[in-house]
Amino acid sequence: MVGIFAGLKWRLVSSRFRAASGATKGWLVVGWCVAVLALGLVVFGFVALRTNPALARTAVVSLFTVQMLSWVLAPLVAFGLDETVDPARFALLPLTTATLQRGLLVSSLVGYLPVANAVVMVGAAIALSTTWALLPIALICAAVQLLLCVIVSRAASASMAGLMAGRRGRDLGMVVGSLLFLVYIGLSFALNQTASSASSNGSSAIGSGITSLSRALSWGPNGALATIPSTLHDSNWGRLLVALLTPTAAVVIGWWWWATALRKSLTTLPSTTEGSAPSDGKASGTAVASSLRGMVSLVIARDRLLTWRDPMRRIPWIIVAALAVLWPLLVVRGHGSLFAVAFPAVMMGLQAGNQFAVEGTGLWLHMVAFADRTRARGEALGHAIFVLIPGTVIVVVAVFLQAIIRDDLEWVPAALGLCLALMLGSVAFSGYVSARLPYAMRQSRKSMFANSVPGQKGRTMGSTLVSFGGGIVVALPALVFLVLARAVSPVWGWAALVVGPISGIVAVVLVSNLTASAYLSRTPEILATVAVGDRS
Amino acid sequence: MSGEATDRIPVTTGTMTAKGSSVTGPGGSALPSYPRPEQLLETVGGAAVAIRGLTKVYDGRPVVDHIDLDVPVGSFFGLVGPNGAGKTTTLSMITGLLRPDEGRIIMAGVDVWADPVTAKTKMGVLPDGLRLFERLSGPELLSYLGRLRGIPADTVTSRAKELIAVLDLDEAGSKLVADYSTGMRKKITLAAALLHAPPILLLDEPLEAVDPVSARVIRTVLSRYTAGGGTVIFSSHVMALVEDLCSHVAVMGHGRIVASGKVAEVRGSAASLDDAFMHLVGADDVAEGGLEWLGSSPA
Repeated sequence: MVGIFAGLKWRLVSSRFRAASGATKGWLVVGWCVAVLALGLVVFGFVALRTNPALARTAVVSLFTVQMLSWVLAPLVAFGLDETVDPARFALLPLTTATLQRGLLVSSLVGYLPVANAVVMVGAAIALSTTWALLPIALICAAVQLLLCVIVSRAASASMAGLMAGRRGRDLGMVVGSLLFLVYIGLSFALNQTASSASSNGSSAIGSGITSLSRALSWGPNGALATIPSTLHDSNWGRLLVALLTPTAAVVIGWWWWATALRKSLTTLPSTTEGSAPSDGKASGTAVASSLRGMVSLVIARDRLLTWRDPMRRIPWIIVAALAVLWPLLVVRGHGSLFAVAFPAVMMGLQAGNQFAVEGTGLWLHMVAFADRTRARGEALGHAIFVLIPGTVIVVVAVFLQAIIRDDLEWVPAALGLCLALMLGSVAFSGYVSARLPYAMRQSRKSMFANSVPGQKGRTMGSTLVSFGGGIVVALPALVFLVLARAVSPVWGWAALVVGPISGIVAVVLVSNLTASAYLSRTPEILATVAVGDRS
Repeated sequence: MSGEATDRIPVTTGTMTAKGSSVTGPGGSALPSYPRPEQLLETVGGAAVAIRGLTKVYDGRPVVDHIDLDVPVGSFFGLVGPNGAGKTTTLSMITGLLRPDEGRIIMAGVDVWADPVTAKTKMGVLPDGLRLFERLSGPELLSYLGRLRGIPADTVTSRAKELIAVLDLDEAGSKLVADYSTGMRKKITLAAALLHAPPILLLDEPLEAVDPVSARVIRTVLSRYTAGGGTVIFSSHVMALVEDLCSHVAVMGHGRIVASGKVAEVRGSAASLDDAFMHLVGADDVAEGGLEWLGSSPA
């Protein structure tokens, strides 16, 4: 039975490669080669650490703990990417829980990521082996670490399988995923700041911080596994006993938790079908699409309502807002960070992108309702204005924040002119390519990181590039005045502040005409393209 | 139910031949031909929907193959056929959701693809398997779609309230459409289709996977609609339903109309429409033979 599960997982893992076209297969092979190279570098790094046992132990303790966290969180943010994660798929098979558990354990170890994990574990084992005699012990510790990761990860995913099977749970997964991303940005910022202050003080504050953290983590089940070779080498028998008992207890408890969760998920129906946020009935509005203005108001009201209710629409805004504030501080140390808001400004413009695909085949509701130019243009303008209102607020706040933090207030007009032009230009062209080069968006919401549909990645990339390029073209006049402001006098920045938004608004208005024409002439083709997202 | 034998012009260089209406092209191949546009509108004045030479080809295979069809005003018209017969493709082309490769569709005197702005006002649509705006509640969806069509907000509100009551959706309250059952989804889509009081309804499998109570509600509403002069065109697999509800029926097979007319005419001397249908689509002997082991095997 275990062999059947391993074979099933291998077929699932390899089916994408088998089904791919020749070119895609080529790219996949290139990707694997790059991954092997990266893994080789990681392993080489660990092997090099072997000469510094204290540093090696610190690094491997941190690695083992982070690895465990990743295994536990991955199904939450990418549930459904591995079909064997959901126990409900096996509910009708005549298998005992114990048999299913053993089969799933083996299937979890089959795949690209488990193999990559195993390779890194071998590197970590070598790093922990101060003498070659310790290598077998270190390898056993690494194997137990992988086993522990799989058991706890599967136990957690079986426990939340009922939740993730429903829309509400998947919404929660997307929220958790975005929060993790924000935590990552925040941690990067904090470490960056610590490193900066440490380097300016001539001390290694960041290094001592990580060492202290690692010392605390070494008492946990994963950290303890990393300390076993060194405690054995030092004949520290008391600590060795604790280091042996902690992961053993974790494996036993994890196995029991998994068995209990598996039994429950196989015999209980998920109870999460009810809506998490029923309508309050206050948001209907009164705008009527009997004129351009009415259509614009109607679309803005709808976008506002759906963005508030739908994490898939709301989360990108939160991430972009965080990027606008934190990212410039990360990439530009010192004066001029306010100009780095340009990148988040373009990202904000991209929120108007692929606007006909967000609701999947829900597009048909518009297709059967109207085919006139006024409403088509009103829809394009409505989506654009909906993005521009919060986008402008975020850009202005972010630029002023950077200017105040870095004492760059004299450059505010130039930076604002450039950023607003970029955002407006990218909004304008995002709308146009939504009609010319739409791409399907996954409606299953199984993962916040799985947006492109197989076979349409080129369209996704093309659409993004056109939106970026459009933003840059529209911002060129503002860019000229920005160069003058830097080269001649900051007063030219005021010209950028006037010219940038004007050129952007002109672009939005003019391109909305083209968007309407493209939409009206291509609606059946747009529907056919975005319909793929319903099935993904 | 066939193309009109009037002055015709060739409109394409395809190789398929329209029923009784072919001419020879420059290369000697048979070309389909259709009435001149202005004459077509005159000749189909009495039909709610008139289709001429409608064709859709996927990967060189015709899924809908030069079909001609007239749907009388005020009729309850069933479009039946096995899976893959081309029913959904035909309805998608009629409703403007799928671009035809050839042919014309006249709806309430309007060419659907030449004048889509007017055509959209003439039809209410219930497609099968397409999403709605899932994060809106039922009343919000109706309110949005009504105002999208330019209907004043007060009128939309009163009509939506009435439709929700008649279609027994009151209990859904503020629940989002994403959490609706299949029957509720069909009913709210039907409400959206009826909201602007169109003269023609096009429904793709409106009763598929619907519970009996919801099915009864939908049937009642549709019967009231046709009694008031509206025309309903709907596709279905369920022959008993079509025989019970419809005044007219068209049978599709392999992308072609194999029979059409009043239900009694299509049924002919067969015991039921189901028997007639099986004969028409050449499925008299399906599921016969083989499976002798069934029921006798211990494992």
